[in-house]
Amino acid sequence: MTAQGNAANSAAETGAAPAQEQAPDIAELEDRWLRAMAELDNVRKRHSRELERQRTAERARVASAWLPVLDNLELALGHASDDAFAEGVRATLDQAVEVLARLGYPRQDATGVPFDPAVHEVVTVQDDPDAPPNTVVRVLRPGYGDLRPAAVAVSRRRE
Amino acid sequence: MATAVGIDLGTTNSAIAVVEGGQPTVIASAEGSRTTPSVVAFTESGERLVGQLAKRQAVLNPQGTIYSAKRFIGRRFEEVDEEAKTVTFDVVPGPNDSVRFKVRDKLHAPEEISAQVLRKLVDDASNYLGEKVREAVITVPAYFNDSQRQATKDAGKIAGLEVLRIVNEPTAAALAYGLDRKGHETVLVFDLGGGTFDVSLLDVGDGVVEVRSTSGDTHLGGDDFDRRLVDHLADKFKNDTGIDLRNDAQALQRLYEAAEKAKVELSSVAQTQVSLPFVTADAGGPKHLTETVTRSTFEQITADLVERCLGPVEQAMADGKVSANDIDEVILVGGSTRIPAVQKLVRRLTGGKDPNMSVNPDEVVALGAAVQAGVLKGEVKDVLLLDVTPLSLGVETRGGVMTRIIERNTTIPARRSEVFSTAEDNQPAVDVVVLQGERERAADNRVLGRFQLTGIRPAPRGEPQVEVIFDIDANGILNVTARDKDTGAEQGITISESSNLDTSEIERMVTDAEANQAEDKRLREAVDARNTLDSIAYQVEKTLSDLGDNAPAHEKARAEMLVSETREALQNEAPMERVRELTDELTQVLNGLMVARSSAPPPSSGGSSATASDDDVIDADFDRV
Repeated sequence: MTAQGNAANSAAETGAAPAQEQAPDIAELEDRWLRAMAELDNVRKRHSRELERQRTAERARVASAWLPVLDNLELALGHASDDAFAEGVRATLDQAVEVLARLGYPRQDATGVPFDPAVHEVVTVQDDPDAPPNTVVRVLRPGYGDLRPAAVAVSRRRE
Repeated sequence: MATAVGIDLGTTNSAIAVVEGGQPTVIASAEGSRTTPSVVAFTESGERLVGQLAKRQAVLNPQGTIYSAKRFIGRRFEEVDEEAKTVTFDVVPGPNDSVRFKVRDKLHAPEEISAQVLRKLVDDASNYLGEKVREAVITVPAYFNDSQRQATKDAGKIAGLEVLRIVNEPTAAALAYGLDRKGHETVLVFDLGGGTFDVSLLDVGDGVVEVRSTSGDTHLGGDDFDRRLVDHLADKFKNDTGIDLRNDAQALQRLYEAAEKAKVELSSVAQTQVSLPFVTADAGGPKHLTETVTRSTFEQITADLVERCLGPVEQAMADGKVSANDIDEVILVGGSTRIPAVQKLVRRLTGGKDPNMSVNPDEVVALGAAVQAGVLKGEVKDVLLLDVTPLSLGVETRGGVMTRIIERNTTIPARRSEVFSTAEDNQPAVDVVVLQGERERAADNRVLGRFQLTGIRPAPRGEPQVEVIFDIDANGILNVTARDKDTGAEQGITISESSNLDTSEIERMVTDAEANQAEDKRLREAVDARNTLDSIAYQVEKTLSDLGDNAPAHEKARAEMLVSETREALQNEAPMERVRELTDELTQVLNGLMVARSSAPPPSSGGSSATASDDDVIDADFDRV
């Protein structure tokens, strides 16, 4: 770098005589400079967008890691009797679901709604004479916002 | 200039990448995932779904969900007999013995399906980039024939893209590692994806990549490893409880997720716990699956899958007429190459060579395609090579420490400034010592130059504002200027040898700093703590003199005693605990005095400005002259 620097210096000093042909094209330099400034501006914008994206991704990653715990708690309650103890644990589960909703991942566990691939994932298809075709008849595992679609059973289309 | 992207159009998953600021990066889909399933669905209501959404409804719509289109593209109907039997949708002959997918009486060409996937990738990328993407480099397996390549190109056209080039997947992988810029080499690319396995031998060098031979297994991949683990866990559970989890859709889904997680974990740890509480229930109550899986168990149940990689590698080497010793580089592609047993096999077959795996194997092909797109668009040419400062630059401040103005690895040209002040009342001049290095103590760094800024008007310490500006130009020449903001007086120095160090010396200085990091940190903390204590003592003294007779007697006595103790402690470089203790006590005293002052009559002169200006002035110091 210093060698370059010295070269640049001496060029500047002796450059007075044969200046004409070596004179840098100002228009080109200005173009490059403007491009560099524009690129800097774009990098800045990209960086702020990327930061937001990373924040969202990290939040989703952390929240997702807790989903199995929530699922298991819910499965456990499925085996509980209706005493005061179970009631308390159920309230705890509600609290956890509420936390996820506040983080932007609302619970998705409605049945009787039309199947929607944006929020549902079909795990199995069932015959259900009472339900219109393509309807969620059973939620096997609830979904939470963008973290995970609800795993559902959908009523079969009648031939 | 429009951006050109690189696309890895895979059998099960696809990815898209772009060169941003000279570096290729993968762009996440609208759903936030870095790969997109190569799946297209036509729903009963006439809707078309692509990617993740299409995959989610596959169970409901097996005949209308098209996957693995890559296995059919550009092939004749009579060639795809076997493949057609393994998929859930209808494969029928089209005109000229071509292949068509039949969904509810409508025929779709494989090119159209691939075009949908490409369209989805490109739309998501356009959204991300904020500009329309029109040009792309698309990768295909090295064994694709002309017809398959042409069909892939057509898929790009149908998607509204100008296909700059069709590139072989192993070639893209080599480009991502920059191997084309090295000398002549023989490269083995080992690609074990989700559902296919490809081996290629490449001749690389002087910007040219040539495929010597290819081999593979069209139905071997990571999914097979998952299935083995699922079966292993389900069999064990059945033995213990008599219940087969594979008959329960919900349990099976949980089992697949847990197996995949365990597989991934076993790539970095020797054993892992698979825990699925309440996985099912019988008359006796809930049942839990809790199983420890060791890496050696996993290796046992997948040993034959790993061995199946052996034949194709040997075949490719025989066809390419190379022995293990002729291979210069090995590149791993595909997520399944993270499995230690697979890596062990690759090492064994290539004479113990350490494979390249620093680039994410799931993304390396898309990244290489993006690099190729960048080269074709001439973007690489436009990149200006910018230098960086190899070491930090700064000035010496109170306590003999270095305060950095420009951090190492800052891209130059760069200009940074910082405001300093005086350390003593009525200090007439400051010494600026320009330092280079990574150590905290000024004396441990290199002195590049020194100068003095004189003519500072008499003022209490901390009040004068001296701006120090560091400016390095593109040639590495450093200009340091100090300016008194009050008088406008300026003094400076030009240092041309700020970068006059060879690499080994820079490395030595950086290593030194790392080796002494802990000690340097302690030293820095000690100096900072002493400086803080000194400046609080000064403020206490100043407040006392402002208050004069208004100072409460007992507070005054205590303050004076503490200040003199502080002076002594600083003189004798007292231990840190003592410094902190004094700092705490003096802070209390200062607070007390402040309260007294605010209730006292206003002081005679503007003596309070010293504390006010402390907020925006970095409390540092130049030696008294």
